[in-house]
Amino acid sequence: MGNAVAIIGTGQTRHGRRSDACYPDLVREAVTAALEDAGITLADIDGVVLGTMPSMMEGVSSTHFYFAEALGSVGKPVLKVETCGSTGQSIGHCGFFWVASGMADIVLVVGSEKMSEGDGQATMTTVFDPFFQRTFAAGAPGVFTMQSMEWMYRFGIPEEKGREAAALISVSNHDNAMDNPHAHIRMRVTMDEVKNARVITYPVRLLDVCPASDGACAVVFASQKAVRKSGRKPAWIRGLGFRGEEFFYGESDKAVWMSATEAAGEAYRQAGIRDPLKELDVAEVYNPFTYQEMIFYECFGFCPRGEAPDYVLRGTFLKGGELPCCPSGGTLCTNPIGATGLIRMAEAALQVTGKAGERQVEGAKLALSHAMGGVDQFNGITIVGSTL
Amino acid sequence: MKRVAITHVAQSSGAESRESLMDFTYRVNKEILDKAGLRREEVGCIIAGSADVFHSGLSCANAFDWDGIGAFLKEGSRAEESAFSFIYGCMRILSGRYDTVLVTALVKGSENPDNDPVTGFYGDPFYLRPAGLNESVVAALQMRQYMERRGVTEEQCAKVAVKNLGNALFNPYADRKRRVSLEDVMNSERRYDPLKALECAPKSDGVVSVLLASEKRAKKLTKKPVWLQGYGSSMDHFHPGDRDLLNGRLPEAAKRAYAMAGIGNPRKEIDVAEVCEPYAFQELLWCEQLGFCGEGKGGTWIDSGASRMDGALPVNASGGVLATNPYPARGLYRIVEAALQLKGEAGEHQVGKPVRTALAHSTHGFGGQCHSVVILSA
Repeated sequence: MGNAVAIIGTGQTRHGRRSDACYPDLVREAVTAALEDAGITLADIDGVVLGTMPSMMEGVSSTHFYFAEALGSVGKPVLKVETCGSTGQSIGHCGFFWVASGMADIVLVVGSEKMSEGDGQATMTTVFDPFFQRTFAAGAPGVFTMQSMEWMYRFGIPEEKGREAAALISVSNHDNAMDNPHAHIRMRVTMDEVKNARVITYPVRLLDVCPASDGACAVVFASQKAVRKSGRKPAWIRGLGFRGEEFFYGESDKAVWMSATEAAGEAYRQAGIRDPLKELDVAEVYNPFTYQEMIFYECFGFCPRGEAPDYVLRGTFLKGGELPCCPSGGTLCTNPIGATGLIRMAEAALQVTGKAGERQVEGAKLALSHAMGGVDQFNGITIVGSTL
Repeated sequence: MKRVAITHVAQSSGAESRESLMDFTYRVNKEILDKAGLRREEVGCIIAGSADVFHSGLSCANAFDWDGIGAFLKEGSRAEESAFSFIYGCMRILSGRYDTVLVTALVKGSENPDNDPVTGFYGDPFYLRPAGLNESVVAALQMRQYMERRGVTEEQCAKVAVKNLGNALFNPYADRKRRVSLEDVMNSERRYDPLKALECAPKSDGVVSVLLASEKRAKKLTKKPVWLQGYGSSMDHFHPGDRDLLNGRLPEAAKRAYAMAGIGNPRKEIDVAEVCEPYAFQELLWCEQLGFCGEGKGGTWIDSGASRMDGALPVNASGGVLATNPYPARGLYRIVEAALQLKGEAGEHQVGKPVRTALAHSTHGFGGQCHSVVILSA
């Protein structure tokens, strides 16, 4: 159905606190790395897609202007696509459709964020409407914790068990980040350290929460013709889905999260996946909070509803488990928001092309990548494979 | 190659609306779905066109937009400028994966600060913003250069406002409705010398929708599909000082669109144009760069009356952006007005001549920093 599209190159910055680089420099760093990886030059690019978080986060509006030179997009067609935290997936989807439409052969997609120069939590509070929700919104942790509590209560998950599983997710993500040279937080943590860390919003503690990172990611999308010409090993786009739900937080059920469930369902249909736990080789789930990662596992059909903590504690999602999740260390260890969803996609592409280095999952052929955004409102999924 | 058509359009008035943005959006979206006889569940995908914070008071505009555009649990996305949203919607159809895509752009300018402080945030906080640059300031610099270097007169620039505001009187959706004379424009307050108040666009409300469909589906949905024939876009450098404000990227964007549409002589082959002119003189400059008249001939071109509603190549029969300026949605308004002309459904502002090919143009940023050109045909 339609033209096939593949990722032929990815580039990431060294993520973290990057006071050595100005914001456009950061973008350029990722662009240069992606072009090098794809073995092409800016002249080969037919179009550029950019996405970041909202202007409040950047301190500049319409960042495609600010980054014009860094993107190499002067004199080129540009599309600016943004959907909040899910931006990284949405810009990837746009890159896919641009090539799939036949209007371009090679499209460069770039996501970025320099969180150290803004106030992330204040910005996220302005995603809420100014009349009803904003006055009690406490940035991201408030919302995600509410959701986690709702989920544990709904499925009768004992607090102890939830805590134990969340701590294991933190420990394993931190371990994985040690293998990823791009990761922001690179340190080992113990179960006890996670469980005794400072409370952020109960029961979520400091080590259950992602950092605020500076970073950028660039991905090169190519048509079949361009893939052949490049000689690069392609990561074919096998399925994509994006779903959003109501703006007002209280109007939808966040424990049985429809946007996450249906976005994955759509991507699975396109990729012909029936049993994701068996068929997927690796997943890069957008996990800024440990507890929330378990909700995603359930929504994506990796395990039955309410049973994610059991699967986690059994080691299903660890490196060497049945479905390794976030071998990169995930969002939990690196979160430059506008780039994060695209980093998930880039990591999935690296896995299925065997280029993930120390964090490679042996023989990975089919990988899921994901991002979430809005007030727990949007979910985007892309599935990439080593074959079409 | 596959084809994509606009099957239906709907738009709100540009005047201040008493509805909340969500209701405002819903109303126009419902109208277009009713016209097409579709339920939102039957639409393949929905793309929003909207800008955040400074144009809406909210970060991540898509979060708020989602309910009103009917996208609950539907495939969708958002692009920041509405011409971007339009072409992204077209790409989704051309990919063969969707038969119908609804594109809706929305903004309530009446609830937000003036465009000058808002567009000031295009500049970086270190060099450009402290200098006080905004869209109007750069436009004033551009107009001064246009007059000095190309010999176009201030009166010729003012004539664009007289023409477009005159056209707007026939458009029920126009925001600024006022018959003005050349004298009125010339005597209106000097905002940013040489720009005068009536030469600057207002700040408007606006929700505008197009329903896109694949060739097969379009023929079932409507008797009058409007086909996408060409698209071209290009972006300029960030620093105004790095740019030649009179030699920007529009010729490049137009060239791409004309090449895709197979247009060799735009002056002859284009029947009607909707050009994004937030400042009166820009219509003349853009028309030169679109190839409607020679370089530096914008002034004599407006004098000739060619761009009037009854002229050889009517430009902004709708009244254009000078009459209605819902900033992030204004590009899609141009596309919708071009489509109405092609369908012969523009009502009192339908141009006299037969319309087979139409051009819609959108620009945003300082002095035409980014341009998109869309070619449509009946």
